[in-house]
Amino acid sequence: MYLMDWYSSLRLAGDSFSAARAPRASFESGAASVSDWGAPAIKATAIAKSFGGSLVLDAIDLAVRPGEILALIGPSGCGKSTLLNILSGLLSPDAGELVIDGTPARQFDDWRRVAYMFQEDRLLPWRTVRDNVAFGLESARLPLAERRRRAADALSLVGLEAVADAWPHELSGGMRSRVALARSLAVRPTLLLMDEPFSRLDPETRSQMHDEVLRIHAGSGMTVVFVTHDMEEAVVLADRIVRLVPRPGRIAEEVDLDDLPRPRIPTDADVAERVRQLRVRS
Amino acid sequence: MPKQFSSLVVQRLLLVGAILLVWWLGASRLPSFVLPGPQKVAMALSALWNSESFAKDVAATCRRVFLGFGAATVVGTALGLALGASRALARFFEPLLAVFNTVSSAIWAIFAIIWFGISDATTVFVVFMTAMPLILTNVWQGAQTVDAHYVDLARSFHMSRTQVLLKIYGPTILPYFFSGARLAFGFGWRVSLVAETIGSANGIGYRLRQAADLVQTDQVFAWTVLLVGLMLLLESCLLKPAERWLFRWKSFSLASRASSLQTT
Repeated sequence: MYLMDWYSSLRLAGDSFSAARAPRASFESGAASVSDWGAPAIKATAIAKSFGGSLVLDAIDLAVRPGEILALIGPSGCGKSTLLNILSGLLSPDAGELVIDGTPARQFDDWRRVAYMFQEDRLLPWRTVRDNVAFGLESARLPLAERRRRAADALSLVGLEAVADAWPHELSGGMRSRVALARSLAVRPTLLLMDEPFSRLDPETRSQMHDEVLRIHAGSGMTVVFVTHDMEEAVVLADRIVRLVPRPGRIAEEVDLDDLPRPRIPTDADVAERVRQLRVRS
Repeated sequence: MPKQFSSLVVQRLLLVGAILLVWWLGASRLPSFVLPGPQKVAMALSALWNSESFAKDVAATCRRVFLGFGAATVVGTALGLALGASRALARFFEPLLAVFNTVSSAIWAIFAIIWFGISDATTVFVVFMTAMPLILTNVWQGAQTVDAHYVDLARSFHMSRTQVLLKIYGPTILPYFFSGARLAFGFGWRVSLVAETIGSANGIGYRLRQAADLVQTDQVFAWTVLLVGLMLLLESCLLKPAERWLFRWKSFSLASRASSLQTT
């Protein structure tokens, strides 16, 4: 049922952020404390990972509540991308436990509802925009018509129906990024993981992509975890920020941004102050 | 555009006319068993076209070429993929490839005569041995250019190994395969005639040998014209359109379309 309602709820979401974010209130039922989350979307306990003898991640405890947007920040080498890869199931931890939707990661079999967005758009140059968006659907056994329909839905979600038949090399950087986002959304993820997805875009396009992600997130109830080195991006997008420090990669602090009203404009005094505080501490 | 096109047609007609003229002048000064004139060749051509064995000979040669080429495609692609997938395997077998590429097709033809005698297998073998290393080398080269980013992308969608092979490796290798196959087919086609002259009792190569033995130079010319025509036809009606369609995503001639997309 959730599957079917996904896109219709997105379309109802509308453009105003305050209205669009209203459905989440019922999701969270007021001020969230760990006890009333119910089952977390992801729960990591004592995660550790080393590469070639050096410890990259140590004793990571992390819980992400359903529908939350969580930012992972920290200097390079702090293992934030490694942590994201572990959360995605692409990399298995050396120690610790990962529970997704109440199921231990080893038994979790719905990985196809976990979407991963890379730093580069990684559009396949030999596929049209439409076929690029449908790419992720081809690993599941879906009839062609259904794949086509979902790809078209995802494309219209990012407002690119008009270029469905174009080749990637014909698009601008911002459009390519939106196609990559549509490709991630086409699998109708309950969990969207992003590894510095907009770091290659110019500032204006990047902030457009932020609006896009927030608008789509507001209507879908999906959980978003993303890695960034851009404090402003973290403050504008996230409900909560987790800061990691390197050698070995571990969590230094968590910053709750629930009190910061949306939409968050980077030039607003409150937003700018939070960004400044983060920069000072890291 | 039409003006350019018509000027191109005029140029081509001029070229053909000049060649015919030189040919005719040369033939009028030389005995016809050395250089038969255009008229004599045209007559031989029409006689050949209407002869009983013509269709059979062309079919026999085509069958051998396609059999050898088909086998070379399958084996060359499989081995190329294997070498591309494993660096250790590639390092081990690389010298062998150099050997295969340097052995002349004529030597393969001699071996084929010894091993297979006068039979279809002789020509098929020679075509195979000529075409296979070319396809292998190109597919291997293509497999090395596969972008690890795309493979990771496929993995992030939990695709199987077969799916990664089909959806990432395949399209990346295809341009390399295509240019290799094209080269291999051209070479295979040419060496098939050599193989047929010594190891066959029918087919185009065999007829050429017969014509040479009987000093029917006009026959040799007629076959040459036919073969050139056949290859040009294959190139313009099959290979070019296939290439244009397969690699349409590479074309940057759509600049005007691109700019109109950017503004929307």
